[in-house]
Amino acid sequence: MEHVQLVGLAIIVSILIGVPLGVYLTTNEYLAESVLQIFSIIMTIPSIALFGVMIPILSTIGQGIGFLPAFIALVLYSQLPIIRNTYTGINEVDPNIRDAAKGLGMTTLQRLIKVEIPNAMPLIMAGVRTATVLNIGVGAIAAYIGAGGLGSLINQGISRSNTTMVLVGAVVVSILAIVVDQLLRYFEKRFTPKGI
Amino acid sequence: MLEFKNVSKIYNGNKKAVDHVNFNVDEGELVVLLGPSGCGKTTLLRMVNQLESITEGDIHLNNKSVKESNKIEMRRKIGYVIQSNGLFPNMTIEKNVMIVPDLLGWDRKKQLDRFNYLMELIGLHPDEYRKRYPHELSGGQQQRVGVARALAADPPVMLMDEPFGALDPIIRTKIQDEFLQIQKEIKKTILFVSHDIDEAVKMGDKIALFRDGQLQQYNHPFEILHRPANEFVSEFVGQDRVLKSTSLYSVKDLVDSVSLTGYQKAGSVQTVQEDTSLRIVISKLLNQEAEQLAVEDTKGKIKGILTLDLVEKFLYKQIKETPKRTG
Amino acid sequence: MKTKKRIAWIVKILFWLIVITFFTWTIMNDMFRPIVEDFGEFTHLLGQHIIIVFISGLLAILISIPLGILVTRKSFQKSEFWIVNMANLGQTIPSLAVLALAMGFLGIGMKAAIVALFIYSLLPILQNTIAGIRSVDKNTIDAARGIGLTPFQILIKIELPNAASSIIAGIRTALVINIGTAALAYLIGGGGLGAWIFTGIRLFDNAFLISGAVPVTLLAILVDYFFKIMQQVLVPKGLRLAKK
Repeated sequence: MEHVQLVGLAIIVSILIGVPLGVYLTTNEYLAESVLQIFSIIMTIPSIALFGVMIPILSTIGQGIGFLPAFIALVLYSQLPIIRNTYTGINEVDPNIRDAAKGLGMTTLQRLIKVEIPNAMPLIMAGVRTATVLNIGVGAIAAYIGAGGLGSLINQGISRSNTTMVLVGAVVVSILAIVVDQLLRYFEKRFTPKGI
Repeated sequence: MLEFKNVSKIYNGNKKAVDHVNFNVDEGELVVLLGPSGCGKTTLLRMVNQLESITEGDIHLNNKSVKESNKIEMRRKIGYVIQSNGLFPNMTIEKNVMIVPDLLGWDRKKQLDRFNYLMELIGLHPDEYRKRYPHELSGGQQQRVGVARALAADPPVMLMDEPFGALDPIIRTKIQDEFLQIQKEIKKTILFVSHDIDEAVKMGDKIALFRDGQLQQYNHPFEILHRPANEFVSEFVGQDRVLKSTSLYSVKDLVDSVSLTGYQKAGSVQTVQEDTSLRIVISKLLNQEAEQLAVEDTKGKIKGILTLDLVEKFLYKQIKETPKRTG
Repeated sequence: MKTKKRIAWIVKILFWLIVITFFTWTIMNDMFRPIVEDFGEFTHLLGQHIIIVFISGLLAILISIPLGILVTRKSFQKSEFWIVNMANLGQTIPSLAVLALAMGFLGIGMKAAIVALFIYSLLPILQNTIAGIRSVDKNTIDAARGIGLTPFQILIKIELPNAASSIIAGIRTALVINIGTAALAYLIGGGGLGAWIFTGIRLFDNAFLISGAVPVTLLAILVDYFFKIMQQVLVPKGLRLAKK
């Protein structure tokens, strides 16, 4: 449950940051390039290394291990898929559709809410799914910095040389990832406006 | 109604897309902006609803400069139809058609009535299509819905950017005919972009022919076909321009102008209706389907016999004797 | 236009300032001490790390590309659906779980780590090889067949050059994940730079954390960058133009 809580909270916060940012980036392609570059560099950082870098920094405010570094890492990793998919999704809305929306007298905000976001929805949802699956994996590793979760099962199994415990931990976390992936795929289809 | 005053559009400091264009469009007129691709006709159209800015000059709509109007409010009062229909794939047909009334805050009842009226107008059953999505419709149906959407808030002016350009020829002809019928009923002021001279002659009350951003000729289709203003116009309308002009006339026009040969009841003769286009009549006569055709009025009474000689005589009269009309 | 560019630059500069500040801070606090003091151990761990990544990565490339080509041939089309789905599913499994499973079956040691990483790297390369070959325009293949190219010639002259970018992207993804996961190999006795990171966590020793984490990060970023360049170099010019 700790695991689900950590990942769930991180994803909600990531969506709240990533989707508006992705939308905003469609108004400035130069900024989009910079921001996407930065987050793809962050994405390249191995998760355990990111923890390793963050622990010394956060320990200066007394939060070196536990929930906070894990949470920040998950949010950082989620940004690239969510921002990139939102940005691409909105940019790829058929220019004719955008032109029609303008020509009919929609304001920028109306266009965004009624036309652009609904049409970009499948891609945005796919980004959220990628981020979630990734986070479940990273969340497992976070057990080593004391964030709890299913990773601790594997952790304890290894330190006690208890193969069964290791296998149970591995299988459970894999099943969680696969089930969530399938569930989000289903939602993706379900919440895509029917016309698309 | 719509006045273009010395309008120019200059891109990146030097490329003139539209070059000092002047002309007026009267209320209820359908004016076709015609020309080869890249001649600036679409740019000019998009300047009216300010999707493109005006570099020099001005466009007046109802004696008010479009530059000074509130863009959003103005666009809601101008119908806009584009080639690829631009329907919103995420919305149902009803939501699509009612988008502008919805933005304008019409109540549900009024929207419902308007939707039903518009769908009947474009020949689609309102209840059958209400909840369907654009991708479930054929190209022709989508384009009809596009027209309905543009008409939704009953705007006095419509801008149509090659609205039927993406359709295959048979459907295009059908929708052109339907739209002319609709226009007879609604009498909107319409700017209609086309690159097809046949479409222009068929649809336009007047044609504005462009080349490299400059207006070459602005007049009735008849004048453009018979009295091209310069070499470019005559080349653009084509060497078969006289033949094209025949689609401007119906059998009735001919009957009113020259007298038909008397009709004797001898053997079977093919008949044509009075509202048939002269172009079709010529085609029938040349096609050896018949050497002569009997003209039938609306009550089915035969008025006389039509031959190629008579058509020739009629066209001669039209070209040589009609006083020059100006725009 | 100018302000937009300026905002983009400011964001970029801010990011690099943060990076520079971080490095200044670590150096000021002598956090790279373990590397300097025990350089032999550092090169040993780095060597282990690179060996794990190199062997598992190379094996994955050598097997997954031919496999991807095989699967896209006509006679194997039925298996393609299953393989693509399995590759999708496999990549959903968290890296730690893959390592743990490998340990469960193969016991502790570098061999288990290499096997786990090999399997994990196989999937993205396989997936991208299939997708790359599948993305080649059907008309192009049809034209090639029409002018009399043999299936082998079509593969060499058309399918592979067109799929090159996608295949390299797959290798790039696989290796970056591989480097990160190799840092976990220590947990199952595989060695590598993860050793210092986990020591640092256990001992609350920032110096060990940084000396393990920063080199792993730099390694990942370097490899990523290298393949990004390769992607640009190895893609035929005509395709690069077509993309623009």
